[in-house]
Amino acid sequence: MTTDRRTINIMIKAFKSVLVGLGLIVATLSIFSTQGRAFAQTSQLFRTYKHEVPQKLPETADAIADGKKVYEKRCWYCHGIEGRGDGPASKTMFPKPRNFTRNEYKVRSTAFGSVPTDEDLFRIITSGIEGTAMPFWITISETERWQVIYYIKTFNEQFKKESAPKVISAGSVASTPESVKRGQELFKETKCFECHGEDGRGNGPLTVALQTEWNMPYRARDLSKAWNFKGGNTIEDVYRTISTGFNETPMGSYLEKLSDEDRWHVTHFVKSLSKDMVSDVVVKVKLIEGEQLPTEPQDENWNKATPVELPLAGQILTAPRHWTPTIDAIMVRALYNKDEIAFLVEWDDSTNKQEEIFRDAISLQFPTKIPESLKKPYFAMGDSSGAVNLWSWKAHWHEGFGQIVEAPEQEPGVVSELNAKGFKSITTQPPESQNITGKGIYQNGRWKVLFKRTLKTEDAKGDIQFEIGKLIPIAFAVWDGSNSDFGGQKSVSSWYYISLEKPVPKTVFVYVLIAVVMGASVELWFVARLRRFPPKLEEEE
Amino acid sequence: MANKRKKFLLIWIITAVICLYLLLKYVSPQVFQVLMAKDHPMPTPSTLMMWYMIMGVLAGLVYATTSNQKFADFLGFLLPDSGSTIKILLQKLLFVGFPVLVGWFIYSWSIPGAASPVELRIQHPTLPQEFEKLDNPFRQTDAETQRRCIEEGKILFQTYCRPCHGSKADGNGPFANSFRLRPINFQDPGTIATVVDNYLFWRIKEGGPGLPSEATPWDSAMPSWKDDLKDDEIWKIIMGEYDTAGVMPRQREKVE
Repeated sequence: MTTDRRTINIMIKAFKSVLVGLGLIVATLSIFSTQGRAFAQTSQLFRTYKHEVPQKLPETADAIADGKKVYEKRCWYCHGIEGRGDGPASKTMFPKPRNFTRNEYKVRSTAFGSVPTDEDLFRIITSGIEGTAMPFWITISETERWQVIYYIKTFNEQFKKESAPKVISAGSVASTPESVKRGQELFKETKCFECHGEDGRGNGPLTVALQTEWNMPYRARDLSKAWNFKGGNTIEDVYRTISTGFNETPMGSYLEKLSDEDRWHVTHFVKSLSKDMVSDVVVKVKLIEGEQLPTEPQDENWNKATPVELPLAGQILTAPRHWTPTIDAIMVRALYNKDEIAFLVEWDDSTNKQEEIFRDAISLQFPTKIPESLKKPYFAMGDSSGAVNLWSWKAHWHEGFGQIVEAPEQEPGVVSELNAKGFKSITTQPPESQNITGKGIYQNGRWKVLFKRTLKTEDAKGDIQFEIGKLIPIAFAVWDGSNSDFGGQKSVSSWYYISLEKPVPKTVFVYVLIAVVMGASVELWFVARLRRFPPKLEEEE
Repeated sequence: MANKRKKFLLIWIITAVICLYLLLKYVSPQVFQVLMAKDHPMPTPSTLMMWYMIMGVLAGLVYATTSNQKFADFLGFLLPDSGSTIKILLQKLLFVGFPVLVGWFIYSWSIPGAASPVELRIQHPTLPQEFEKLDNPFRQTDAETQRRCIEEGKILFQTYCRPCHGSKADGNGPFANSFRLRPINFQDPGTIATVVDNYLFWRIKEGGPGLPSEATPWDSAMPSWKDDLKDDEIWKIIMGEYDTAGVMPRQREKVE
């Protein structure tokens, strides 16, 4: 009898360990297989503005001399040997490097028109400026950073004449819905929208006029892109910028125009406009069962798809290279039903001005065949061994070289389907093979372009055939006509993927039901068994 | 008190396993972020996590079976006990929770998940033969010429390479975020410091399209500069690049 019970005990023990072990293996596997986010979010992709400043070094002639050495080893290539912002590398840059002989300093804690404090300069050298060529110089020692600051100051006499005090308050107003609402009113009243646009996309009428009619290098900040804020995007940073303004730019100081409290309200409103870039490697194409896919870019059904935002770079692979692109991000979402697939791509562009050649445009790129192995066509327009299928959309066209016109908002644009095997071999598909439809809408500084096609086509050689559950490479190119983008001069992305989500089969729920019933019966049997033969200690017997 | 604790041995072990899970899942990424001075959390790799969890469960079972007394206490939790309301509540929770957990495992296991891309590549493909014999013509010149070449190379580097590889040659140029195959950080001692000048000459001249297929040329954003830069300019860029990154090229072994 005792032996029997012991055997049962051992059996129960073994059974339970195996069960728990298996359960845990399944649990860990399933939890991690659902977390496919391999790509970083803004906070990881972009640098942040660092506020901490260490103890200052004495500003001596020796320090300045040492600073000159640092400057002539690292800084002059962009900022110029005489500090005029005209270094040899500046030709591949926009915005241009700062000219230290003028007081062009933007990120300051001092009054508008004043020079920055040494600490302000230290923060910028340490943090760099996102969206520009200015790197973060944490790689050089703090001593070297102070020395180079003292040398930079020698380029501008104003540093000798004044040492401007900080002007901003230490207090703050909490961010509440009321504060944001008040900020929005002030944003209108103070005419912030004239440059920054009503939705803050940097598309205000004044910006557009300065840029296109006067050819001024000023672009109002796109306040919806948190990663591009100069001098940081925390509320303290935004408040500082509103208070002190950017020297030698249309962004003035609101120190006197707005009360301290009102500046906090505007800050909270600006913060409410700004968004992080939420990126991913795979764009999940959502199934819309038994419904029509949207035919309008503003359709509410688009909200069912998860948007993915991707960073773009200038096309630098082959001449003519594009060193100074204006479109740095694109947002993509996609839906499909049993017959069709539709994409919505959105990006910010400060104007809807088009010229005969320089037009806003976008192109989606797929391989002509879903790759079976790791090998894909070259990410920029394919290559001789891997052809790509291009879906192109171009904004309004009008005849007249050199004539810039504001295109109508509801102008749908032109779509076409092309194939490419490298930059130099691009062919438009014949009219009978043109199967995509599309439509673009420009509103408040943002393009929204819709593309639609059937999942399969007749032209299996030149067209991508979509298959559910497979990873299908996709890449993007965007042109900004007002930035003279044309042909190879465009913003491009790397290869990403789309995946048409598999619908959850009904059988899954049957499996789950069986599993629950089985789990419950095993449990009942185990507990009943245990209660009938409770474990007893040998000593007791 | 001691008796009460023993009665709940099963619950204690389950709690310990859950704590281990939370520790690995949420605490360890934060700890490693601080320890490794990263600006983002460092999630525990899934396979590592799985093995730690299995070991945790086994440790719990080993502990429960160290003595007959413990094992009796361990299983004894499931016996009827009208004395303690907490115990009854936990028993009910366990009885309901177990089948639900099994159902949930099966559900999350059988729903179709999105595939994640596999992108394998070899970072350092072999230098093609035609580039092996070349020599940087400026490495053997006098100090003054070398200094001039480095300076000219740095200017070219800052003009053409900087947008991706960055002013500091640290792979953090303004375009770097946009290429999923991130531009190489030349300051990293595992990169250009481990190769000779010729290797860089090959990479600059032929770029991504010149890579062999095991190095995934289709994903590389490295331009081929053979049509735009002269050979002399490329050799100078290489000298300027090493200087900017603050590293030295690998020295060739002397063949006697």
